[in-house]
Amino acid sequence: MATRGTGVGQIVRDHRIVVCAGSGGVGKTTTAATIALWGALQGRHAIVLTIDPARRLADSLGVGPIGNTPVTVPNDVLGGLGREVRGSLSAMMLDQKGSWDELVERHVPSLESRQRILDNRFYQQISQSFAGSQEYMAVEQLGELDASGRYDLIVVDTPPTQHALDFLEAPERLLAFLDRKIVKWFVKPSFSAGWGTLQAMNRTVGFLLHKIEDATGVSALADVTDFFGAMSGLFEDFEPRVQRVTQLLRDPATAFFLVAGPDEQVLDQADYLAAQMAARGMPLKGVVMNRVHPHLELADGDGTVDAITSLLETRLRGGPAPAAAPASRGRHTRGARTETASVSSQTSEASLARRLAQNFVAYQARARGDVLRMEMFRQGLPRSVPLVQVPNLPSDIHDLAGLLSLHPYLFASRSAA
Amino acid sequence: MFTVGKGGVGRTTVTLGIALEAARRGHRVLVVELEGARGLEAALGALRAAAHPPAGLDRITYMMIDGRRALEEYLGLIIPVRRLLKTVFSSSVYQYFVAAAPGLKELMTVGKLWYEAETRNPPDRAGASDGHELVLVDGPATGHSLQYLRMPQAALEAFPSGLVHREAERVVGLLRDPDATGVVVVTTAEEMPANETFEMVRGLGELELHTAMLVVNQVHTAPCGREEISGLPVAPVAPLEAPRARGGARATLAPEHLVGEVVARAVEEIGWAEINAAHVERLAAVDAPMVRLPYLFTEEFGADEVCRLGREMATQLDERSSEPRPRAGKK
Repeated sequence: MATRGTGVGQIVRDHRIVVCAGSGGVGKTTTAATIALWGALQGRHAIVLTIDPARRLADSLGVGPIGNTPVTVPNDVLGGLGREVRGSLSAMMLDQKGSWDELVERHVPSLESRQRILDNRFYQQISQSFAGSQEYMAVEQLGELDASGRYDLIVVDTPPTQHALDFLEAPERLLAFLDRKIVKWFVKPSFSAGWGTLQAMNRTVGFLLHKIEDATGVSALADVTDFFGAMSGLFEDFEPRVQRVTQLLRDPATAFFLVAGPDEQVLDQADYLAAQMAARGMPLKGVVMNRVHPHLELADGDGTVDAITSLLETRLRGGPAPAAAPASRGRHTRGARTETASVSSQTSEASLARRLAQNFVAYQARARGDVLRMEMFRQGLPRSVPLVQVPNLPSDIHDLAGLLSLHPYLFASRSAA
Repeated sequence: MFTVGKGGVGRTTVTLGIALEAARRGHRVLVVELEGARGLEAALGALRAAAHPPAGLDRITYMMIDGRRALEEYLGLIIPVRRLLKTVFSSSVYQYFVAAAPGLKELMTVGKLWYEAETRNPPDRAGASDGHELVLVDGPATGHSLQYLRMPQAALEAFPSGLVHREAERVVGLLRDPDATGVVVVTTAEEMPANETFEMVRGLGELELHTAMLVVNQVHTAPCGREEISGLPVAPVAPLEAPRARGGARATLAPEHLVGEVVARAVEEIGWAEINAAHVERLAAVDAPMVRLPYLFTEEFGADEVCRLGREMATQLDERSSEPRPRAGKK
């Protein structure tokens, strides 16, 4: 149980599974990878599992395209960061097609029925084209990784919000999917024999499903039936594993982190996701706020373009500030062009000063908005949940050194109130 | 028209910007959001609630398409006995059927989209004076967009006959017709979004879909050159020492420190501008007209900003095309 005042570091220390949820584009993948890296540097055997269809993590970890198997970052690469390496860092990208095939290969012993599944059009549709099936496999994979016992820190990166919810729901949906009664109903030999039996069972539903079958194309249902016939053994095996994973997501060893950014839409979705997590008994343990514009509190009047411009003009001349600095405000106006050479050099300085001032004021405006939006968001969170801020650094983070540069923000021993 | 792009690049804002600009020019616009998303609805609501709602807002209609409901609606057309349908929809076998075929919902979503597009633009109204109705779909994040757009073709292959096959055939035809359908790819000029944009464009090409426009959003502009900064007698404040030094330092900030912060922001902006410029150059390889939208520094992103971006897109496109689009007169 985390105690009051613990930061992100302590939460990671206290948990075996860390799930990073949040909407797209907020830096979830980077956050997940940086947490895993931190764990590895702390002596953990860490793995980061990404479910995002885009191949971002591979780039972030510099391990080349990651397939459906864990890839361990070589220790000398980790050592190149100039830190003592006691743990290990692995990464894994979920390739959904590979994952289903692997599952079939592992759990369907007979070559013939295996081929029957792989050739089944319905199977191909589910495993390849259709949205949503990915999450089934993600949860399954999480369970496998955990069961392997090879890792003592599993950091999971999830797809964007609506799909992150799919991820949370996946175990329940799998259970519904595998409702034994129904699977049996589908795999009954009489079913594939024809609709007659079905109609006798339930005339109304049978009649209408027949219509649906017409609509969807005759062979589709035969494919479905065949698919379930071939997969039925696999499904029997599924259920206990799904239940285990359901438990895993609610296990005290699992922590949920919300990754967000100080944008209106992003925070709306974060709010929603936080509520959904709470409702599912997956309590939120921490919030990582990425891309925050640093805000500087200034006295009224000190933060205007004019005030900053004149401050810069004074300072950038290099000399000590004259006592009457504010009085120079507004003097470098257009009418002054006819003066001497030294003034014209002052004018170019002034325009640079003004450009810098405008830029600063623009950043301040954005930063003020960030502060307000984060405060509003903070109010909706339990006090015990730490919120860490990562500034909007002008760098694309795509290597280990980049990931490492985030650690001071995430794992400093303080937590923002 | 579909807008697609990685999450967080401002896809919804761009969608709204296009919608507002089209509406301002007199077109009726239907903006569509797919199930689960709620950003567009919220953003549109905020525009309507604005003190000065933008011109043409009343020509924009909103619709949320939910695949499951679309499927039920569709089945309702085939089996026009409502009471019986209710029985089916509540039966576990049907629930299972839908759950077992996750793609069915996506297929029905695209089908419903086309039904709406066609009902609103019947062929006999082609020359109608109030303009055609633009159907603008705010797609889900990149990977999922492709899944939606691939669906009709997947259905063609999966269902060799029957109603779905015929429907899918029609939809695929429309999707591939560049006069009927265009895809707007939205991105920012950063490493990962740009990478995904290339993947997206390739995916669209494989599906034989027409990329109508590439919108590069949130492009930063350097306030000055790096050499100008290095010539200054003040060093920027390092980002790391910055965040906490601020806490209670209200109004007591030393002028040197403030100057350092001002310079730091300039360095930050130059950094972003450089990153953006490099990726804009990469993105120029995409075979579609490119529109660049500035990063807008505002406390709150509101109606004015959306309109501004919409106009910016229109201006850049108009400049590009040799024959400017005829402007629909304001009413």
